[in-house]
Order: sequence, then C-alpha cells, then structure tokens
Amino acid sequence: MRRYVLRRVAIMPLLLLGIVTMVFAVTRLTPANPLVTIVGERNLGNRVVVDAAKRRWGLDRSVPVQYERYVANLTRGDLGTSFRTRQSVGRDLSDRLPATLELTLAALVFGLVSGVGLGIVAARRRDGWIDHLSRLFALVGSSMPAFWAGLLLLYVFYSRLGWLPGPGRLDPRAVTPLRRTGFYTVDSLLAGDWNTFWASVRHLAMPAFVLGWGITGIVSRLTRASLLDELGADYVRTARAMGISERRVVAGHALPNALLPTITIAGFSFAFLITGAVLVETVFSWNGVGSYAVDAARSLDYPAIMGVSLLGGIAFLLTNLLTDLTYALIDPRIRLS
Amino acid sequence: MRAGRARSVRILSGIVAAGLLAAACGGGKSGSSGNNVSAQQALIIARSMDINSLDPQRAYCDTCQIYLTAVYETLLGLDPKDNKTLVPRLATKWSSNSAQTEFTFTLNPKAKFADGKPVTSADVKFSWERLKGLAGSASYLASGIASIATPDARTVVATMTQPNSAFLAQVNASYMGVVEQSVAEAKGATTAAATDKAEKWFLANSAGSGPFTLASYKSGQEVRLKRNAAYWGTKAAFPEVVMKQTADAVTQRQQLEQGAVDIAMQLSTDVAKNMNAKNVTVRKVPSFNYVYLALSPGVKGGEALTPDVRKAIRLALDYKGLLDVTVGGAGRSQPSPIPNGFLGTDGLAPPARDVAQAKRLLAQAGVTKLSLSATYPTLNVYGVDFSTAMQKVQTDLKAVGIELKLNPVEISVWASKIGTDGIPVTALYFAPDHTDPSQYVQYFGLMPGSQWQTWTKAPARPQENQLLNQAFAAKSVNERGALYKQLAQAMMDDGVIIPLVNPDLYLAARSDIKGMHYSACCNLDLSQLSRG
Repeated sequence: MRRYVLRRVAIMPLLLLGIVTMVFAVTRLTPANPLVTIVGERNLGNRVVVDAAKRRWGLDRSVPVQYERYVANLTRGDLGTSFRTRQSVGRDLSDRLPATLELTLAALVFGLVSGVGLGIVAARRRDGWIDHLSRLFALVGSSMPAFWAGLLLLYVFYSRLGWLPGPGRLDPRAVTPLRRTGFYTVDSLLAGDWNTFWASVRHLAMPAFVLGWGITGIVSRLTRASLLDELGADYVRTARAMGISERRVVAGHALPNALLPTITIAGFSFAFLITGAVLVETVFSWNGVGSYAVDAARSLDYPAIMGVSLLGGIAFLLTNLLTDLTYALIDPRIRLS
Repeated sequence: MRAGRARSVRILSGIVAAGLLAAACGGGKSGSSGNNVSAQQALIIARSMDINSLDPQRAYCDTCQIYLTAVYETLLGLDPKDNKTLVPRLATKWSSNSAQTEFTFTLNPKAKFADGKPVTSADVKFSWERLKGLAGSASYLASGIASIATPDARTVVATMTQPNSAFLAQVNASYMGVVEQSVAEAKGATTAAATDKAEKWFLANSAGSGPFTLASYKSGQEVRLKRNAAYWGTKAAFPEVVMKQTADAVTQRQQLEQGAVDIAMQLSTDVAKNMNAKNVTVRKVPSFNYVYLALSPGVKGGEALTPDVRKAIRLALDYKGLLDVTVGGAGRSQPSPIPNGFLGTDGLAPPARDVAQAKRLLAQAGVTKLSLSATYPTLNVYGVDFSTAMQKVQTDLKAVGIELKLNPVEISVWASKIGTDGIPVTALYFAPDHTDPSQYVQYFGLMPGSQWQTWTKAPARPQENQLLNQAFAAKSVNERGALYKQLAQAMMDDGVIIPLVNPDLYLAARSDIKGMHYSACCNLDLSQLSRG
C-alpha cells in the first residue's frame, strides 16, 4: 500500500504540470484582454498607462516566456500576484480556503448524514409514504440548480420569515473571531465566544443545506438501493433466522456492506461540492475560493485563474487518492497495487 | 467487529487530519477583533466593492474614491452643497497665472499627517510626481504637470506643459491626494514604475492626513477605517467605518431594512421603490453617471454609419422609454457627452424622438435596409442593465428599418474586440473623476488620437482640439462655459456618442444617519456623516 501511495504522490507533479500547461494555454488563447481589469476600460487607449501595465505584469513578453517564468516561479512556491486584488495569489487562496472548506465540509456532513438516514428509512419502509417523500426530496435536491435554491431559500427564510440570517459568514456588524483556523465556527469556539459560534452556525445553515442537498439526493437513493440488495442477501436471511434483532441486522450487517458504493460517491461528492461552491458562494456572499474563482474568470485575472485551477487540481487528485485508500480500508477484498 | 472499529477509527483519524490540514491552511493571523469599538458605534456601509488597489497613486475605482477621500486629503475640496465650488482642504489659498500654466498653492500650517508630522510642499510634490511616474490609471490627472517647485515648506508651484484651466478641478479629484513621503519611501515607494514596491504595504497601511486611517483590509470582504485621532481639522463623528462587500442591490436593501448596515447607495430603482422599512430614508439625487451608445463608422461592419445615418439613429431612439425600461423613469435624458450640470451644458436641447425625420434621413442616405451588429459588455452599472437597454435600442431602431443584432460579451472579450477589429455599435458607461468638462472632451471628442476617435476610427476633427485648447487657456468661467458649450454641440453633431440614460442615484440610509451627500469628485465623504 505504501508503494502505491508513493507512486500516486510521485506522479502528481506531472499531472499538475499538465493542468497548469492546459489552463495557461486556454487563458492565453481566449480572445479577451486582461488589461481591462488592470487599467480599466477608460485607459485602454492610453499608451503610457497600457505600456506601463504590460511591463509591470509581464504581459509585454511572448507567451512562451510568460509560461516559462510562471512555471519557474511555481517551483519556488510563487503563484504570482492577482491583477485584481494586487495580493499574492497564494495569500488570496489561503485567506479564502478555510471559508470554502468550512462550507463544503458542512455540506458534505449534511449530505452524507441526511442521505444515509433517508436511504435507510426509505429501504426499511419500501414503497411507503416516507419512501416516496424521500424520493421527491432527492429528486428536487439533485435537479434544482443551487443558485436558484439559494435565492429561493434566502427570500423565504431570510427576507420573508427572518428565521435565518442573510448572506455572508457573519452579520455585517459582527466582529470576526480571532483567526486561528479560518473556520469561524472553530475559531469562535476556541475563543469561547458562544454568540459568534451560534451566529456562524446559523449563517452556515442555508448555504450548507443548498450545497449538500444534491448530495442528499444521490446518497439517499444509492443507500436505499444498496441496502435493499443487502437485505435480500443470504447472510441477512441467516442472521434473521438466528434471531438477531432487525436493528442489529440492518445496522451491524447489511448497512456496512451497503455503504461501500456510498463511500465512492462521497469522494466524488467532495469534488462536486467544490465546483458547486462556486455558485453557492456567489449567491450567499461567501468569501471563499468559489467566489474568488468567479471573479477571476470574469476579469480574466490570469494568475488567479491559474492558482484556482492548481488548487482544484490538487484537491481532485488528493480526493481521488483518499477515496481509493478508504475503499481499500473498508473492503479487504480490494488490494491496491 | 474489532477490525471494523479499527477501520472506523482510521477513517475518523483521516477526517480529523483533514480538519487539521484545513486549520494549518488558516494560518495564524489575527482577525479584526483587536479593535475595541463597539459594533453599534461603527458606521457600516453595504457596497459592491470594485477596489483594485489602496495605493493612493495606483487606485482607480468608485470605492477607491470614497477610501482615498477619507484617508488622503487633496489640496482642494468640493462644496457638497453644489458640487461646483472649490473649497480649501490642505491648501488655504490658491491662484493661477493669466496664461493658466502655473498654479500656486499655500498649504495650511495646521495640516499634519496621522503620525503628527506636518504636511509639506515636498509631500505634495512627491505624491503628484509619483502619480505621474507610476503611470497608473489616474496618472492622466498629473500628466500635464511639467514641473513642481517647492520654494518653501508651505508653497507648491505646479507648472503645466500647456495652459490647463482644468487643473484646479483636477486637484480636487480624490486621486490627487497627498501621501507622507518619508513613510511611503521607507516602505518602497518611489516616483518610477520600475522601482516602486509599495503597493502591497498600502493594502494594509496608510500614510495620509485625512480624517480616517486604514485599520484593515480583507480583499473581497471589507475595508475597515478608524478615526484619525490626531486629525488636524474637525474630527469625524464615527470612530470606525466599515465598508462591507455586498454584491447585489437586493441584499443591500435587506440588510439596510433589518438594521444590519447603515448605508446602501447602489440600489436600483426597482429595489429602492420596494423599500418599506420605517427606519430607512431613501433620497433620490441626480448623478453625473451615464450609459451611452457608441457608433463606429470607421470599423468593419460600420461603413454604413454615415453622419446622416448616425443622426437618424439618434432621432430613432425613444429616450423616455429608455429611462422607463432601464431605471423606472428615475433619471434624465442627456443631450451631449458632457453630462447635465457640467459647465457648458446649460440650454442644450434635450434629445427627442422623431421617427419620421429619422426615416427621411435614412431615405436621403439611400439606406433601405440596414443590418448592424452590437457587441456590448454584460454589465449592470448604476442600476442600468446593459442588455435591457440594448434590447430597447434594438426595438427602437427596428421602427425605422434598422436591424440590430445583439451580441453581449464579458468585458474582457469586449476590450479585446474593440482594441483590435473595432465594434460598429456598442454601449459603455462613464463616471467623472473631477468637475471639469475637459475629461469628456478628451475622451469622447473626435480629436486626433482621443480614445473614441481611435476606437470608432471616425475622421478626426482637429477643430475640437483647437476649441479645447482655447478652453484650457480661457481666463473667465463665462468664456470657458461658452467654449465647452460649443464643444458639447460639436460632439452631438459628431453623432458617434449618444447618451442613453443618466440615472439618478439612490442614497439610502438608516434614518439616524446625517450628512449624506453625493460628491462629483469623491462619491461619498465619510467625514461628513454622523448619527443622531
């Protein structure tokens, strides 16, 4: 297993170089002008301003030279400086990553727990009203666009009913907790600030629900189907014949086997959540990597686009590796080589 | 069973490790909890922020105007009551020679920076030379300065490369603010683009003499200002001001209604009209911002846009209808590229629709069937959605037999296209940097090499350049006004720039907020605001 992991890790730089090369080529081939972000549309015809901006940002050099410099800087851990924020992309990403991770992890936990729970209930009450209801919930969750669900929930629960707070990670007047992890929930707990903790949880509720809803749908349907298969298997019949209680049969025997495909889905779900976060962060003014990616793409902020792509690539590669490893841990029949 | 538990423990360990990894990503920087100002005392502004820098000589955006005005003072200010009269700020006196080539300013001896050091003429010289030398987006304001003399610590003499009666107005632009030279230089600031290294320092610090200093900045999240305790003038009422990133108008309104923020000033008409909270005051004021249509007769696909056809297009547009569909009627039609209220615009006939005359002009020009392509950026500025505006233009032109194909694109794609092939029909917006009409003539006039002469490839009109030079050298306001009126008329006759909508601005605030004014140079002066 160690050799397998080392081989997977060793190949990652090559894969990342491929991602960098491809994204670099695509951004440079796009018929668009990033100078509008740097100097503004009003100065596009001002030769002095445009020339100075090109020199400053290295855009006066040929594309191969720009690529060579970017890769050379990358090997030193320098992701460049954002055209838009004027800060290093590395710092921008580390500032925003905790917000995205906090949201996606909350969504993942919600999606998995509620999905597995609904799946179990639906399997045990097959074709009952709760099965149909969970199917409807799953269908709506997986088919409704996240941005639409977000706007709808904001309108109902924030604007009309006032039950939940509006966009942002905290209220505008709230003071952000002392930063230790960047997770507001964790940082406020570490500071012993229960009010801020509760406020951050409340702010997390709607975006995490919207983001995790799709996962709930997929996981619940998958869990239901797998569990029904397992409940019909010989070993379950044997267990029942031995007089083991139904709860133990389901929780102790059938469910662990039924969850194998769910674990695979959980890995892919993380990737799904990261991409889904782009829209949800925009709707909920969540200052994470997703909204950073949207702004970077809209303004053709080359260094920021490269940085986000690289981060996304690393996240996908690590998630895939982690999924494979988890699969092997759960199912001893699987051998990694 | 044991093995199962062990596996569970390993999975849990993995999750915990992932959490720790995330924690490690978080770093160890402190948040804003270090301030001891209660949140209720602070002024909170909800804003869709477009900040591209906080370096006073590199920044160039609407939010930057607010920030720079609060932190870096200019020599002259603008009276908020009329948006025209120059008032003292760092300078107590100012004068110019009769040729409008030399401007002398006397600094207030009381003026000092936030660290207590006096504001000197050397600081002014450094700031203006840095603005010009860095060649940032606002550098055009200082590009006409040939030299700056500092005969003593309180006197600044700026000599222009040519007469420039607009200079005093340019001096009140927030981008002409003064930075403390010794502090800036210690942090890597120079007057040359190749050697200057101070921009990153300015993202977390400030070195100005204004009523506020920068407390912290979190890109995409908030700008936090604290009152300059050592301010030499009347101190600001608020101990702290926070501009919070709030992307859309609906959220701004909701937060204002619920008291989560004190001010929102980017509300569209439909959003502002639905405001029904008791403790909120909404005021509608005229702005100098506008959205315009641009016709490029010299580019591929625009060959049919002869002067008569351009005039026909101008007559075909339903200006009132445009106001109604874009901003619910909350705004004005604007005859010339120099906006209503600026020098030279009094008495200009407002644009009016005349479909019959438009058709006659098209017939005269031999145009029976005309198809044009409009490529425009997918923007929503000042409450005007460009797609909505262009759809209305499309409908209006159809009534006179012109087919307009709409092609909305991202602004970066638009920028690439207009800078290479050119675009026959497009739309864009403009907001002033200062109060002199010259900025419009230099940008929109068909003077050789001007921005829109280059983009439209329309034949150059050197006579506009002559008129502008006369205006720059004019000695009286009346003389300048007459010249700018001629220029406004000339630009209307050029017919390449057709203003579509001059939207009003909604100033929405909690009812206890006082002193809120829209400023032509500075957007919003935070030092004028108070609660009570």
